[in-house]
This record gives sequence, structure tokens and C-alpha cells, in this order.
Amino acid sequence: MRSCESIDPLVTPYIDRELPDDDRQAVDQHLRACPPCHSRVVAEQAVRDLIHARQPELNKKEAPPSLHARCAALTTGLTAARDHDGVVKPAVIGQVVPLPLPAKASHPRTGAPLSRRTVWTARLAPFALAASLVTVVGGAFLYQATKRSTRIMAAELAADHVKCFAMNAALGTRQAPSAVESTMLSSFDWRMHLPANPSRAGLELVGARPCLYGEGKIAHIMYRHQGRPVSLFMLPGTERAQGLVEVLGHEAAIWCVNDRTFVLVSREPKQDVERLAAFVRSSLH
Amino acid sequence: MPPLKGLREVSPAFEAEALASLDSLYRAALRLTRVPADAEDLVQETYLKAFRAAESFEPGTNMRAWLFTILHNTARNRFRDRARDTVSIDSDVVDRAAELPPPGGIVETPETRLMRDTLAPDLQAALNELPDAFREAVWLRDVEEFSYAEIAAMLSIPLGTVMSRISRGRRLLFQKLTHLRPVGLTNEHA
Repeated sequence: MRSCESIDPLVTPYIDRELPDDDRQAVDQHLRACPPCHSRVVAEQAVRDLIHARQPELNKKEAPPSLHARCAALTTGLTAARDHDGVVKPAVIGQVVPLPLPAKASHPRTGAPLSRRTVWTARLAPFALAASLVTVVGGAFLYQATKRSTRIMAAELAADHVKCFAMNAALGTRQAPSAVESTMLSSFDWRMHLPANPSRAGLELVGARPCLYGEGKIAHIMYRHQGRPVSLFMLPGTERAQGLVEVLGHEAAIWCVNDRTFVLVSREPKQDVERLAAFVRSSLH
Repeated sequence: MPPLKGLREVSPAFEAEALASLDSLYRAALRLTRVPADAEDLVQETYLKAFRAAESFEPGTNMRAWLFTILHNTARNRFRDRARDTVSIDSDVVDRAAELPPPGGIVETPETRLMRDTLAPDLQAALNELPDAFREAVWLRDVEEFSYAEIAAMLSIPLGTVMSRISRGRRLLFQKLTHLRPVGLTNEHA
């Protein structure tokens, strides 16, 4: 029979049922003849069984939603930064995904906030206008529009679009139209009225919050279309030619009213982006 | 935020799978730092490193284990940076410091049966009282269910040390828990 010393390194895998049969039999044989080792194994086994039984409760603690958002936004923010150098692949930006494991798909934090491949497939289905409108008000960044091309502007806005949706999905903020409008007034000196009855275009106001990375000067209004993100940006004191730009997997519809430039950003099909932009343009006062 | 080399390699599937482990990484970070703000920091740094090193991840292997390894390495480096626990975390000195009395004639007893009724808060408290090295080994094995080899990589210790720490950790827990609820007092309020 093997000695206690030679059995010792086998005890843990024995308890975890990871020993090959011959070793297992050798341990069994030893334990039948050695009460101290038997006691030891029984005790360790009891603890292992107890932890396994309590595993769900021990694993209950979840990370704060803000941490989820920060980590999900890591690649987004950094991708945006890299875009200035023209290094990043265009496809990357729109593909940032928060936490889409099937088991967690219905979690409020992870409820399909960002466009992804499955959504792209889903949009081929008959077009349902069930949609919601998230409004995020805040300074995205101080944007020096006159120094950059429209395309770079659109790329930065697309990055911000993805980033802010990640934050909003984590925080689940909602805000009434009046609150959004008063924020626009106080933050941008912009006396405006959101589109009345946005459901006409399949849109629904969900809420507003300031952008985490904000430094200041851009109003960022976010929509959802069939659960998918659509952003409206307002750049004060900026004039841009009207147009539709495809950038980083997103469509950006651009138009100008007086000295304000509006950019609507989404991964929705081009014709939907144009339709939504036309709706917002005609009903935003 | 530092520039992120290797970001081009981060596919949506990679990012999704990585972020799915965030809650368990956070729990690990909390165990290691014991301070929520530090834990959040540690998790975020772990993801930064993971996204940066995405191309070094071997597809088909356990990504959760890979992330845990990054997290533990990062935590160790931080401890080193702060000149705290520099030796005790990894050294066998720790193993010897928790020498157990020889197990004394316990067979299938009321104690082991009592153990089964131990509630999660008591178990958690007992786990918290364990020396770091044993708590982490037991937790990674029995709660997170990593393999010995994966744990060895995470803690940067030999395979045999992993198993002996698990073993000692379990025995220490047994002692704590049976002491917590002595035999014969089952119907009394503790």
C-alpha cells in the first residue's frame, strides 16, 4: 500500500474526480486502511460540495453598470482616437458589442443597444416601425469643424454615436421631451422643440443624459430604430454642405439650418436614414 | 488613455466573449484588492491589456482563463509596484505559514453533515478570512471551475502547488466552518 506522503499530492484531484483509474484505486485502498487520511478527504470533500452547492450565491455580486459601460466603450473610444491617423479599419467601429451572450440577452444592461450582425439580418425582415428615441444631450467633444473634412467629422460622430449608446444602455436613462428641450436651451442656448409625435416616423422618446466624455460643444441626440441606434448631432456655429456620407459602417446624413449643422448617424439602410433625416429636419423646430 | 496597439485584431466576437466575463473578473478583482474602486480599475486595465493583446489569444482555448491570467498578472504587478505583499503572495512560505494540525479522526461525522447546511454568507465570511493564496486557489477551482493548469498559469505557480493550496484551503475552511457551528448546537441560535 502507498504511504500517506505519496497519497498527499493525489488528494485534490481525487476529490475533484480527475484521477486516472489506477491512481484512484490506489487512493481508495489507502483510505480504507488509513483513518487520518480518510478524515482529511472527507473534510475536503465536504467543503468542495458545500462551495459547489452555494456557487450561485457566491457568484451573485455583479460589476457596476458603469464599469460594464467603460469596458465596452474601450475599443470604441480608442478606435475613434485612432481614426485621426487613418489607421483603423472602417468596419471596426460599428461592430463594438457590449455583452451579447445569449444567456444575458434580455438583461436590461445588455438589451441590444448596438447594431450588430444579427440586427443587420433582422432588418431584412418586413419593416416594422416600432422604434424608440433616446436622446442624449451633452457635449460630445469640442469639434473644430472648419479644420476637418466632412468625412472625418462623420467618423468622429459615428464613434461618439456608438460610445454614447454603450453608456446609455448601461445606465438605462430616460428623459421626458421637456427635460431634453430645457437642457438644449441651457447647454446650447438653443430654443428648440423635439419632433412632436415622433411615432409618426416610428420613433419614441426614451430619455437623455450628458455624455461621459463630453467637453462641450455638440448636442448629441440619440434615437433607436427597431431597437437600433440612430443619433442626431447638432453642431452650433458650423456650416456644412448637405449630403449623405458612408463612414465606418454608418450612414451620416448632413444638413444645415442657419448656422447649425445637423448630422444624423445610423447603421440603418440608406433609404431609412434619409427618411428619418427628412422627418427630423421637417419636424424639429 | 494610451493608444491601443493591436486593436485592429479585436473582432466583435472576441470583444463580446471577453466582456461576457466582466462580472466574474470583477469578483476576482474585489477579492484581490478588497476595494471596489481598485477592483474597477483593475478590471478596466485587464480589458485594455486584453484588447491590446487580442492577437496573442489562441482561438479555441478558454478566453475566461486567459482574462483571469491577465487580471492576476496585473494585480501582482500592482502589488509589486506598491511594495506590498511582495513575497507572501507567491512564496511557499505562505503555504508553510498555514500549517494545519494533523487531521484528527474525522470520518463521516455530524460536522461534515452540518457543513451542508452552511449558508452562503457564512461560507463567504470564512473564505474572506483565508490567506489570499489559499482563498484564490480554492475560489478559482471550486467557484470558477478552472483547471489546475489554468490556475497555475493565473497564479504563476507550479501545478503541484495549485493542488496543495486547494487542499489546504479546503481544510482551513472546514476548520473555520465547523468551529463556527459546533456539533450539538444545531437547534440553538448561533
